Amino acid sequence: MRFTILLLLVFLLPNRPASGQVDLAGEWSPRVYNTHMDIGDYTGIPLNDAGRLRAEAWHPDQLDLPENLCRPHPIDIGLRVSVSQLRITNELDNETRRPVGLRLKVAWQEPEQVIYLDGRPHPSAHAPHRWSGFSTGRWERNTLVYTTTHLKEAYLTRTGVPKSPKATVTTRVHRYGNLLTIVFIINDPAYMTAPYIRESSWIADPNQVIPPFPCEITPDGTIVPAGKVPSFLPGKNDVLNEFATEYGIPLEAALGGEETLYPEYIKKMKTMKVAPRTTTEHFRRAQ
Amino acid sequence: MDTRRVVLIVAALSLPLSAPVAAQGPVALQGGAPGTARAAAPYDVTGYWVSEVTEKWRYRMVVPDKGDYVQVPLNPEGRKVANAWDPTRDQASGEACKSYGAAALLQVPGRLHISWQDDSTLRVDTDSGTQTRRFRFALPQGQGAPSESRDGGSASPNETPSWQGHSVATWGGGEPRDRRDGQGGPVQDATGRLVVAPAQRKETDYLKVSTTRMRPGYLQKNGVPYSGDALLEEYFDTFSDPYTHNTWLVVTTVVTDPRYLIEPLIMHAHFKKIPDASGWDPTPCRADEPR
Repeated sequence: MRFTILLLLVFLLPNRPASGQVDLAGEWSPRVYNTHMDIGDYTGIPLNDAGRLRAEAWHPDQLDLPENLCRPHPIDIGLRVSVSQLRITNELDNETRRPVGLRLKVAWQEPEQVIYLDGRPHPSAHAPHRWSGFSTGRWERNTLVYTTTHLKEAYLTRTGVPKSPKATVTTRVHRYGNLLTIVFIINDPAYMTAPYIRESSWIADPNQVIPPFPCEITPDGTIVPAGKVPSFLPGKNDVLNEFATEYGIPLEAALGGEETLYPEYIKKMKTMKVAPRTTTEHFRRAQ
Repeated sequence: MDTRRVVLIVAALSLPLSAPVAAQGPVALQGGAPGTARAAAPYDVTGYWVSEVTEKWRYRMVVPDKGDYVQVPLNPEGRKVANAWDPTRDQASGEACKSYGAAALLQVPGRLHISWQDDSTLRVDTDSGTQTRRFRFALPQGQGAPSESRDGGSASPNETPSWQGHSVATWGGGEPRDRRDGQGGPVQDATGRLVVAPAQRKETDYLKVSTTRMRPGYLQKNGVPYSGDALLEEYFDTFSDPYTHNTWLVVTTVVTDPRYLIEPLIMHAHFKKIPDASGWDPTPCRADEPR
């Protein structure tokens, strides 16, 4: 009987899906370089027409609406577009204290995301969508691969490029020594014609302290007049071309699309109209 | 049902779960003699690949303006050099390849052809700038000249610097398991020494390339410099995305340059696998063109 139990353990022990192949837990300091800081900069995004229409309607004053002042990014965006100090901890089941996955926490607005590695299914398609979504993962060799569904509608950039609630995100986390690289593969059939892939890296920083992120919502009407939702009507966005003009890029190229992602497009751009430049030092605004 | 039968059934049910992808050893994707880097490849990196530029588009698909180094941790000396960039002078003085050096080459939009030159050397050809890089792995025991280094051929101090430098490659990720991973660690052998048994090692799963002896070049087309003292470390990984099932190559690049950078610069590039050489468009080095 003892032999039987031993044999059973031998076969069953490797089936610990929540156990990590690599230790990802710790404090990670961002080496994230923001792009897409300007209205009308949709470069490198495989947007479709619907996505572009939504993006063009976005007005920067929307950020000052009470409902948006403390609105978090979903963590897949939070890791990219904000001060993304990252903490990864092991997630334990409350009752059994067995590992069930990993928990990611980001500094800005403090969103958290649990990645379940214990084989549980995703909830029904009708389940509520949340900022953190619902994530399940697995190990592919030493890479953590997880898929997030049930995300709320959000932005791909800080300048209003939309991501629909139909989007799912597959994320690959790879540790190379003290370097952590995360690859995001965002699939949004509503607003993009192809998956949008981008990467970011973090450096191990055991002494990092993630400060609290208190956020206070000012009353309606304090910044933007009550009842007003700033936006641009279709074709009426009068600042849309500023990015393209100031950087000397054809407007069509600046507005993204799958074709613009590939080397052949460089030749095509030479045949396109470029508006006369108004400055060659536009980039200094970001310094 | 007797105990033995129960055990067999449980064992059979457990087998598929007990053999995750992570447990698969190196696969002989490329052939090659046993014990060689080519035979040990954990995945197939060879073939044709095309850049997909979703990152830093305005720095890569067009030539950025002089002085636009917002995302590069340059020190004052680096800024001074970047601010003095003159593409006409570079072109005229035969220095047009400065933005196609190893540290920046994979940032330049274009196509790659990766192949095994021999069992210990991966060769990367690019159509942009028509450059060739060679990643040298350690030779198996008993091969190579007695004077030849076993670590992939460290650069000799007398080696002439080149645009692509001297690259040493390893299959990475096969370090000892960490006790924090719940996988144990080194074990004691019969003499009491701590050794890493094969079962305590992780599976190799990425390609690491370290490059030195580079000629001074540019990190961006607009003259943002790296020096001849720079160390280039690159990590290559491949995967299939679950949406289109395309195969992708992701490269994480770390440039350490005490002369011009205040901290290491980390960059990324990814490439989509394509079936053949269609679209291959070789260009000469050009100081004033994106590719």
